[in-house]
Amino acid sequence: MIETPGPEADEIAAHQAEAAPAGLFVSLGGLVRRLFSARLDKSAGRIRLIALAMAVAYLGVGVKLIALGVSHDPPQTLKVAADQAVSGARPDLLDRNGEILATDVKTMSVFAEPRRILDKDEAVELITAVLPDVDAKELRERLGSKKGFVWVKRQVTAKEQEEIFHLGLPGVGFLPENKRVYPNGPIGAHVIGFVDTDNIGIAGMEKYLDQQSLTDPHVPGFVLDSTALKPVRLSLDLKATHALRDELTAGMERFKAKAAAGAILDVTTGEVIALESLPDFDPNDPSDFIKDPQRINRVNVGVYEMGSTFKALSIAMALESGKVTLNTRIDARQSLRYGRFTIHDFDATHRMLSVPEVFTHSSNIGAARMALMVGVEGHQAFLKKMGQLDRLRTELPESAEPLVPKRWGELNTMTIAFGQGLNVAPIQALMAVAALVNGGNLITPTFLLRSEAEAAAVAHRVVSAQTSESMRYLMRSNATHGSAGFANVAGYYVGGKTGTADKIVNGHYSHDKVFTTFMAITPADKPKYLYLAMYDEPQALPEDGGFHTAAHNAGRTTGRLIARVEPLEGVPPTDHFPDQPFPILARLGLGGDADRMGKE
Amino acid sequence: MWRLLHVIAIAALIGSAAYVYSVKYQTIYASEQIVKTRHQIAKERDAINLLRAEFAHLTRPDRLQALADAQLDMQPLALNQIVKADDLPDQAPKVDSIGRKLESLGLLGESATPSAGVTGATPAVR
Repeated sequence: MIETPGPEADEIAAHQAEAAPAGLFVSLGGLVRRLFSARLDKSAGRIRLIALAMAVAYLGVGVKLIALGVSHDPPQTLKVAADQAVSGARPDLLDRNGEILATDVKTMSVFAEPRRILDKDEAVELITAVLPDVDAKELRERLGSKKGFVWVKRQVTAKEQEEIFHLGLPGVGFLPENKRVYPNGPIGAHVIGFVDTDNIGIAGMEKYLDQQSLTDPHVPGFVLDSTALKPVRLSLDLKATHALRDELTAGMERFKAKAAAGAILDVTTGEVIALESLPDFDPNDPSDFIKDPQRINRVNVGVYEMGSTFKALSIAMALESGKVTLNTRIDARQSLRYGRFTIHDFDATHRMLSVPEVFTHSSNIGAARMALMVGVEGHQAFLKKMGQLDRLRTELPESAEPLVPKRWGELNTMTIAFGQGLNVAPIQALMAVAALVNGGNLITPTFLLRSEAEAAAVAHRVVSAQTSESMRYLMRSNATHGSAGFANVAGYYVGGKTGTADKIVNGHYSHDKVFTTFMAITPADKPKYLYLAMYDEPQALPEDGGFHTAAHNAGRTTGRLIARVEPLEGVPPTDHFPDQPFPILARLGLGGDADRMGKE
Repeated sequence: MWRLLHVIAIAALIGSAAYVYSVKYQTIYASEQIVKTRHQIAKERDAINLLRAEFAHLTRPDRLQALADAQLDMQPLALNQIVKADDLPDQAPKVDSIGRKLESLGLLGESATPSAGVTGATPAVR
């Protein structure tokens, strides 16, 4: 407290000067006494002074509080900064049998507190000597920043950690972090997806998990401990997925194709058992995927003209409309003219064909004529009902809009009937074919486990049981005496359909660049699995007779795949085929030739 | 009399203080042990997780396939190698002398010797 010196003070000072040093203690005593003596005439002024000082102090506190409240960058404590920076835990991803597809492991990351580092240049020098892959210039910049917390390097090895530790740098420390690992490498990569360095899902089911807000790693109080998170089971079967990838890799090499893809779908539940698209990537190092657009998931994101596999839809539509039965004869004696366009058959028969023959000979003319019987509107309505005209959304964040012609006339209906002029994602076509063969129920495919009861809840009927049985019969006869013979694996009651679409090169359909698809069902009397294999631009091989059509590449692959995957899924081969595979058709006196072997 | 009571009271006081001290010390010790054990559990759990990941990595199908192709003189399973249990032929008669002896003695049935329990990777099939 300040006090203006009065006249007495001068006196004392003078007295002090005289009496020093003997009078020093006396004068001090007087000073102390004077300090505690209360003079009533001065107390009002003192109180005001105290009040003023208090007001200034409170004002100061208030200003500081407001400043803290409005500031956007609160001074970070190390704990807060570290909590925000480290990667949170994610639930394990398991396949349908409990095999690990993705899991977290704890790793150490090196961080620094720039404010506590004494000699930053020396620190940079020492650290880069131990961690040669850290950029020295960039590290120096980061250490020069005013932040309380910066990463030096994420996820170091135990050896690197030890070396950094032995440098003994103050202000450099370690934090445990979760690192996502995918022990199976590229198997199932397109479904599993991947995460970034902060363990945030970027693609595939990893991103789906984040969207479900199961895991937002940066919510305050978020668990670092993965034991608190329940593992998520996918519908994938790791072994079947590997078999699919292995066969497609071998096939892609053999047929020198640009790309390949395939999937296995459980038609009773809509679960995707396996899905592969080649070329693919390793989710442990997804930089390949980010850089190269060729590595997309072709089954979900690619849209293609599915070719003859679409004829299955056209025939089912014609059968469902009642305008056609399996006995109806379709005129395929000559090419079908429409305006200046002519529709040819690849393997022309030049005769009247029955409906099963249209399917087994894969007659473009027959399919086009049947679609015309139903009409443009009926065709559109049917494809809409089958989910072919809208974007199909599954759990995977990746999806694609089908390319539907803007003006849809009779010519469009004719070409779409045999698979040209409508581009759909293969998973859409899979869903439709699954509905055609499973008794007529459309079920959205899923990448999570789904029981038959849950599937029944989401399913809705799109075709009758009889139409569905007719389709199964058609696919079975196509395997025994049609184009799907390569997939007719002995021991399994296989049905199948090939599809070879000419690719469009410079606005014209090319004959040597093709896109081939193959779909197969097992067992054809009561299907469980639907197989899909596709090749982009497979080459004809002389040892296969010089054909590049689907039967010779995608068909062969599917055959090998069925022989490999069915035992894995616990389905033993049998030499005893069902006596009455198609009971509804048998009552109508049809379907007896399904198991007749060999071509006519 | 009073003096004795005082002495007892003081002794009780000192005794209870000592007891409280020891209990407190034990509590601190125990809670330290709990923290330590928790750390150890977390560490073990992380280690287990790492080993699981490593196991999954080492048993990934493409690696096993490559190893089997390179090391084993085996062929992929052919479909005609899979048969139903019912299709298996009946068990052949025991041809060795010990088997015949046991049969003649009526000892071929199930052994009365208690099982040693399950050892090894695969459960014993009897």
